[in-house]
Amino acid sequence: MSTTSPGAGALGLAVTRSPLTAARSRYAGFALRRLAQAVLVILLAYVLVFLVLAAIPGDPVSAQLDNPEAGYTEAEKARIRSFYGLDKPVLVQLALALGRALHGDLGISLSTSASVSSTIGEALPSTLALASSALVLAVLIALALGFASQRLPEGRPNALVRTLPTVFLSTPNFLIGLVLIQVLAVQLGLFSIIEPESAGATLFAALTLAIPVSAQIAQVLITALDTTASLDHTEVALSRGLTPLRVFARHLLRPSLLPTVTVCGLVVGELLGGSLITETIFGRAGLGTVVQKAVSSQDVPVLQAAVVLSAAVFVLVNLVIDLVLPALDPRLRPIQEAS
Amino acid sequence: MTSRPSSEEPLLTVEHLHVAYGRSEVVRDVSFTVPRGSTLALIGESGSGKSTIARAVLRLLDRRGAHVRGSITLRGRAIHDLPEPALRPLRGRVLGFVPQDPGSSLNPVRTIGSQALEAAALVPEASTRAAREDLVRDALERVGLSDPGRIAAAYPHQLSGGQLQRVLIALAIIPRPALLVADEPTSALDVTVQKQILDLLASLQAELGIGLLLITHDLALAAERSQQVVVLSGGSIQEAGPTAQVFERPHSDYTRRLQADVPGLHPDRFAALRAGRGDTAGGSPGDAAAGSPARLEADRITRTFRTAGGDVPALREVSFAVRRGTTHALVGESGSGKTTAARALMGLEPLDSGRLRVDGRAIDPGDRRSLRSLRRDLQLVHQNPFTSLDPRFRVGRIVREPLDLYGVGSAAERRERVRWALDAVRLGEDLLGRRPTALSGGQRQRVAIARALVLRPEVLVLDEPTSALDVSVQAGILEVLATLQRDLGLTYLFISHDLGVVRQIADTLTVLRRGEVVEEGEAARVLAAPQHEYTQRLLSSVPALGGRRDEDILEATA
Repeated sequence: MSTTSPGAGALGLAVTRSPLTAARSRYAGFALRRLAQAVLVILLAYVLVFLVLAAIPGDPVSAQLDNPEAGYTEAEKARIRSFYGLDKPVLVQLALALGRALHGDLGISLSTSASVSSTIGEALPSTLALASSALVLAVLIALALGFASQRLPEGRPNALVRTLPTVFLSTPNFLIGLVLIQVLAVQLGLFSIIEPESAGATLFAALTLAIPVSAQIAQVLITALDTTASLDHTEVALSRGLTPLRVFARHLLRPSLLPTVTVCGLVVGELLGGSLITETIFGRAGLGTVVQKAVSSQDVPVLQAAVVLSAAVFVLVNLVIDLVLPALDPRLRPIQEAS
Repeated sequence: MTSRPSSEEPLLTVEHLHVAYGRSEVVRDVSFTVPRGSTLALIGESGSGKSTIARAVLRLLDRRGAHVRGSITLRGRAIHDLPEPALRPLRGRVLGFVPQDPGSSLNPVRTIGSQALEAAALVPEASTRAAREDLVRDALERVGLSDPGRIAAAYPHQLSGGQLQRVLIALAIIPRPALLVADEPTSALDVTVQKQILDLLASLQAELGIGLLLITHDLALAAERSQQVVVLSGGSIQEAGPTAQVFERPHSDYTRRLQADVPGLHPDRFAALRAGRGDTAGGSPGDAAAGSPARLEADRITRTFRTAGGDVPALREVSFAVRRGTTHALVGESGSGKTTAARALMGLEPLDSGRLRVDGRAIDPGDRRSLRSLRRDLQLVHQNPFTSLDPRFRVGRIVREPLDLYGVGSAAERRERVRWALDAVRLGEDLLGRRPTALSGGQRQRVAIARALVLRPEVLVLDEPTSALDVSVQAGILEVLATLQRDLGLTYLFISHDLGVVRQIADTLTVLRRGEVVEEGEAARVLAAPQHEYTQRLLSSVPALGGRRDEDILEATA
């Protein structure tokens, strides 16, 4: 199947440059504004987390230090307190912490004395592998459901496909995980639960995480496809003699991507939260495990870094999506003068 | 049924076509033949099954769950039972389609060029990209788009409706089909654009020898543009035959009725009704100019919209006056400013300069108290009755609401008023408990008029009140309006793009183009002898008013 490149100058004919350049510079302005907003949101998240932890009665660092089992001497306590700036006013502490964070120094874990950045850095690859493969799987599942919803004739199979997202959504994450482990790992031996970081185990852990997330994407995608299918242009494309597959890909799916991609950005939060549970079920040493330990031991610097990291991932993913949307739908681009 | 003694095999033969959705049959035993290179028009009102027949011929009904019986033969080959893969090579290349609504018929997220190349890729001879680009450029030029490069780089939302319809025709003719099925190809367009598109289809047909199956609700358009017609109603054929014969000697009641309702063919349909109006209106519109004072007056009104693309003048020093008890028409195409003028009159749109007066009282959008009392005397009827009535309310409440808002009379008096208003628009009391969704388009518009009438206003502003309705329904609404004017002495400001309707109902008119008055005066005089080039063009674009054929029809039906 031959492909035709969309976009300006499709006919290889002269296209006037100036409005195009103007549109590009307008897009650059839009991108810079969105980037600045994203940075601001991450900074505010950091400040907010800092202030909330500071406002909690019973300074958690002191609680850690004063724990008799920890066995710190008064001199050590004073040294650690002044290291964290805990003897200074809150706003000064905030300024110091922000200044250090901007240089990449996120502080030191209270429970392990390792640097927070290395603690998180060690756990991050595992979680990223899990979350990103889950996202890919979720998108693939949603696409398959979307395709089936449009291609299957009206009737039971089609109705089933349209019910699946609701079923997926109402099945708890841990249940899917336990069933997968029981059936695939224990009974069929498709992957080993003893090596949780192996490719096979990662794949099935990602599947556990992907199923409920795919349901949300599929629901939006199927609705968008239905809306697009009701527009005349799909029928007109069909009447032109295009193959059904091409009509689906170019005339149904393309215009339906806008809401679908937007919802992909929103489910990233779900993926991060879900990976915590999934990691526990599958015994993976990821960010989820780190956060869990930090919560139980009131390890404030680690917690703070984890929360800000989640916020940053969420904001960045949505920034990328915002920047990509105009490429998907020309109607979102800055107005180009039609001469 | 049409039959044409010819040794040549016909292009398209449809025999005993039945289409049903579930148990309801929407097309019943329809047969017709389209000879090569000729035009057959399927005429009918909404619900007549004409678009369903078009889709049956294009084999687009399968995916809609329709049950189709009968035979469809294209160039001697039966296509009604061809499996989809065998049919696909015929799509586009033999069977072309020009859809109804150009605005929604192109993929909104891809450039015109990308979609055109996709169509060109299906032409077997165009094996290289350069060959396909040539095909696309030729087709775009052929449909009168002079700058194919710019059009190809554009997205659908950057082009006008007329340009989009040209693009759709270009896409359809790229593979050189033998038959074009055009489903109301101009009903979404302005009259002058409509004429250009129809001329284009006619010239392409002559040039490329394409057969045309033209689906339309517009009798006059069919009369002007086709050799054969099939008149449909309720899914079955009422009458069929050579166009001239059907229009000169219609033998079915339905065709006769349909013809009688075409405004352009009967300019004096409401003349007797209108002559019965009281003295205030003047016995004949010709000599009433003096005497009666202006009920409605616009004095050099100006309004400019500021957009990112620059200033768009919607109204430029527009002046007109409407005498008590008469009808004044504001005529123009989309973008002429006619709706802005109506909105300004209702106090919904501020003016940059100029003055609007009702009975000498100035309309000031800033003064809410005076606007409120003004609106009691000045009511608006919207264009589209399918969206202007609140679907949650029943008819009784819809009509009563203005009385409630103005606190008119007791509950019993209000009920009485509502009954009176419904009676005035000739709707039965049995409709009081219905919601708008349970009403037909004509009934909805009558409800909208009743709602406007219930406060007993002096002036009605009618914004294209019949443009969303079928001709037979339109005729009923116009008759109600003419009767109300005679009995109640109402003054109408009638906004329309349809010169046929304007000729039937208006005493005076103002022709607007891009916010400027190009011609004004007595409706009968202006339409009989238009002075301005634009008015002439508008008039010649209306199929029934301009063509030579219509004179014959007028004689035949007189």
